[in-house]
Amino acid sequence: MAEVFVLVEHRRGEIRDITFEMLSGCRDVAKSLDASVTAVLLGKNVDNFVEQLKSWADKILVVEDDKLENFNAEAYQKVLSHLIKERNPVLTLIGHTSFGMDLAPALAAELGIPLATDCIGFEVKDGALIAIRQMYGGKVNARFSFKKSPYMATIRSAAFKAEELGLSAEVEKVPSPLTEEVTTKRFLEYVEAVVGEVDITQAERIVAIGRGVGDYSDEKVRSMIEELANELGAVIACSRPIVDKGWLPKDRQVGTSGKTVKPKLYLALGISGAFQHVAGMSASETIVAVNKDPKAPIFTVADYGIVDDLFKVVPALTEKIREIKGGS
Amino acid sequence: MKIVVCVKHVPDTAEADVVITPDKKGIKKEGLAFGINEWDEYALEEAILTKEKYGGEVVAITIGGKDSEDTLRRCLAKGADRAVRVEDPALEGSDAYALAKALGAVIKKEMPDYDIIFTGTQAGDDGFAQVGQTLAETLGIPHAALVTKVEIQDGKAKIHRELEGGLEEVLEIQLPAVLAVQTGINEPRYVSIMGIRKAKKKELKVLNLSDVGLSPDEVGEKGSLLKLEELYVPPVEKMAEILTGAPEETAARLASILDEKGLIPK
Amino acid sequence: METVEGESFGEKYDLFVCLQCGKCTGSCPLSMRSQLNPRKLVREALLLENEAVMDKDFLWDCTTCATCRLRCPRDLQPVEVIIGMRSILIEEAKVPSTVQEALESTFKNGNPWGRAPSKRVEWAAELSIKKASEGAEYLYYVGCTPAYDPRVQSVARSLVRLFDAAGVDFAILGNEEKCCGNEIRRMGEIGLFEMLMEDNIEMFENYGVERIVTTSPHCYNVFKNEYEGLKAEVFHYTQLLCDKLDEGKLKLTKELKKKVIYQDPCFLGKQNKVFEEPRKLLSSIPGVELLEYDREKMRSVCCEGGGGRMWAEATATGERTAEMRVKEAAALGAEVIAVACPFCLLTFEDAVKTTGYEGKIEVKDISELLIEAIEG
Repeated sequence: MAEVFVLVEHRRGEIRDITFEMLSGCRDVAKSLDASVTAVLLGKNVDNFVEQLKSWADKILVVEDDKLENFNAEAYQKVLSHLIKERNPVLTLIGHTSFGMDLAPALAAELGIPLATDCIGFEVKDGALIAIRQMYGGKVNARFSFKKSPYMATIRSAAFKAEELGLSAEVEKVPSPLTEEVTTKRFLEYVEAVVGEVDITQAERIVAIGRGVGDYSDEKVRSMIEELANELGAVIACSRPIVDKGWLPKDRQVGTSGKTVKPKLYLALGISGAFQHVAGMSASETIVAVNKDPKAPIFTVADYGIVDDLFKVVPALTEKIREIKGGS
Repeated sequence: MKIVVCVKHVPDTAEADVVITPDKKGIKKEGLAFGINEWDEYALEEAILTKEKYGGEVVAITIGGKDSEDTLRRCLAKGADRAVRVEDPALEGSDAYALAKALGAVIKKEMPDYDIIFTGTQAGDDGFAQVGQTLAETLGIPHAALVTKVEIQDGKAKIHRELEGGLEEVLEIQLPAVLAVQTGINEPRYVSIMGIRKAKKKELKVLNLSDVGLSPDEVGEKGSLLKLEELYVPPVEKMAEILTGAPEETAARLASILDEKGLIPK
Repeated sequence: METVEGESFGEKYDLFVCLQCGKCTGSCPLSMRSQLNPRKLVREALLLENEAVMDKDFLWDCTTCATCRLRCPRDLQPVEVIIGMRSILIEEAKVPSTVQEALESTFKNGNPWGRAPSKRVEWAAELSIKKASEGAEYLYYVGCTPAYDPRVQSVARSLVRLFDAAGVDFAILGNEEKCCGNEIRRMGEIGLFEMLMEDNIEMFENYGVERIVTTSPHCYNVFKNEYEGLKAEVFHYTQLLCDKLDEGKLKLTKELKKKVIYQDPCFLGKQNKVFEEPRKLLSSIPGVELLEYDREKMRSVCCEGGGGRMWAEATATGERTAEMRVKEAAALGAEVIAVACPFCLLTFEDAVKTTGYEGKIEVKDISELLIEAIEG
């Protein structure tokens, strides 16, 4: 029977969510391709991971090696290209994460396998795989066909839901094909983004700002936002552009490369809603978005939306909240 | 240091409406503002900073039509020493894999003794996040994506890579290598129009496929492994309840909704 | 010092005749609150090398109101010296990030606000206005701020209704319209300014434009005084509407019982001597009592919105001039501060809030008051 490979992503002793999302999300496409699902686990001392993965795959392929302790695209590429050549899976899935982005393109190129990156869905048409991915910042979807099989794809975080599968995987240990140290790339250490006074992951209410606020170094803009946050008892967080400009520290950034937050209220101001941001806040209880662009993707994740200029709405909202508080 | 930077001229669609062309293979370009891909602007700055620190030469490379010379001129004005544009009808329909092959061929011809190749991690239009890493593979050199810091130390570079959740990974990588940079790695400088005009004297070479030793079959649809079938407007799965009216009205509605939900601290 | 074009500042701006009398600094609305000192800068332009400007962040404080030029007993142009110094900073890429963004956006999008060119005409979505390609007696040049800023869009919409009411035959450029470059030149980006000027003149000629009417005194100024080779005649909207009032085509019938004080925009008033038309329009509104500042017309005080200040955070500390003017207006009993410039509108509205006069004093563009007088 054909196999779909799903590469297990783990870091610092934890399997990352994307792994379960892929294992769960690929069942349909595996079925259409008449394939079983194999979780491919590379690492060192991974018994604990094996246990966690058992109910999520038909088979777990384990390669243990000291050289695989931390993610290293080069070491991973060597092992995976060996495994893929050996077992010829019809489809290999890797997360479209900092890990997969580094690994998958070079691996696919080495093997001459077509790769669709950042996929959000699949279709199977006449036995052939079609990948669905987004372009132009999520404003357009695209269907891509692969010139030949086997296929490879990287999967966007949170594109699929991780749903318990209740399987009991067979475990197969494969000897590591790595014979020598990887020399061209060496892992040194992890460093945390500087932790400031505010922990946005613990906040009950968040006022988040994006590119649409314009110049956040401007005193007027800043005080307008801070006044609203004060009235709401909210902390201020942001999307990537605000951090890139140096207007707020990195630990205030929400999204895949920042923090994941689940507050009771997430008020998004001038945030268009690129998936990298949405992935970090979509689990919030109540999401409100204010944006000028009625087509901004943020409105598809928000519960309530206002299509207007935030510079008009925010002061009015601050005022109304003050009134409500004053009257109670 | 011999430094290559690969750049792309892309439409800015952050605010503009995107309209799919009738053949469903592209978007309408009229009315869109074009410029250097955001990630590439940081890659360019990193290339120039590297040259300013260690000396050497920067060559900027793009694949694209005549209009992408705007982007190359800005590269030259900011400090690239020369620029190369590759244009060939056979490149039409190339996927990231084919583009990486083409870039590799240009680099081998124009700067075969490169020490470091900078690219952006991804482009704002197609968002593949693939070309730099694939390029490294075709050249047989190491790479790193999402690079947020580079320190060069003889024959090697100590780099930071951005991971999820505010974490970074520190690596040592052998040179030559492809470093695909993430936004925010530096602060791209301003270049004036006068600066761009002055840079007109710098070399901007235009090459076609045969100039770089590639056959038409190696690129375009034939040389690609992935084919765009069609573009379509994403289905709206869920839509927020849109509050309408003047700002005072929408703000009042929102405030009372928040109040009902107990989201206003008292 | 040498200009970016390689001329000596002394020769280009004729600085050798400077008496160092200090009238420029004395008249500068910023010099009390900032290190900006036009007299000293003129001297330094003569004596120092270009490197000396590199750490002068305060150069971005200048609003280019040009009072220094108007007061100079030797007819020198300290304001141009400051712009020349900014040009040096621009060429050396020593630019505040917000200015950099405004300039990059102007190059890429044709407006300094970072907005998509395809959204430029959105303010007119519900209006039917002729396109320049259809030909008209006047080209209504809207300007970047009225096109994109939600507050100032109301001015553009008011003007369209007023032009219609007065029977003016006009058209707009729509999404083709590009920044006029007045602020761009004043931020020191000469190359970009020249590019905009050439593009705009070519576009005006292609559409056979003979008369241009602008919302902003800034666009008016640059078209009228700095566009080399522009053949079209240029008007500020207050001039055109005042003519229509005189011709009896603009009828102001509805009463507006308000005490109104008028703020002369620097680029309309002291720099172009258009003082009477705005006042005449205001005093023709039935019920309006027109008040005057103690310092008005040639002595009027800048709002601090010009010269690129919309995109540059000032180093100046203390009370802003617009705040001072709001307080003065309040003391004179004004209920409305009337303006005729998008930047004055924005800076004064801010100042009303920061001085605590919200709800007591309104800031309105003349066009908005005129609309009330014709539509009630």
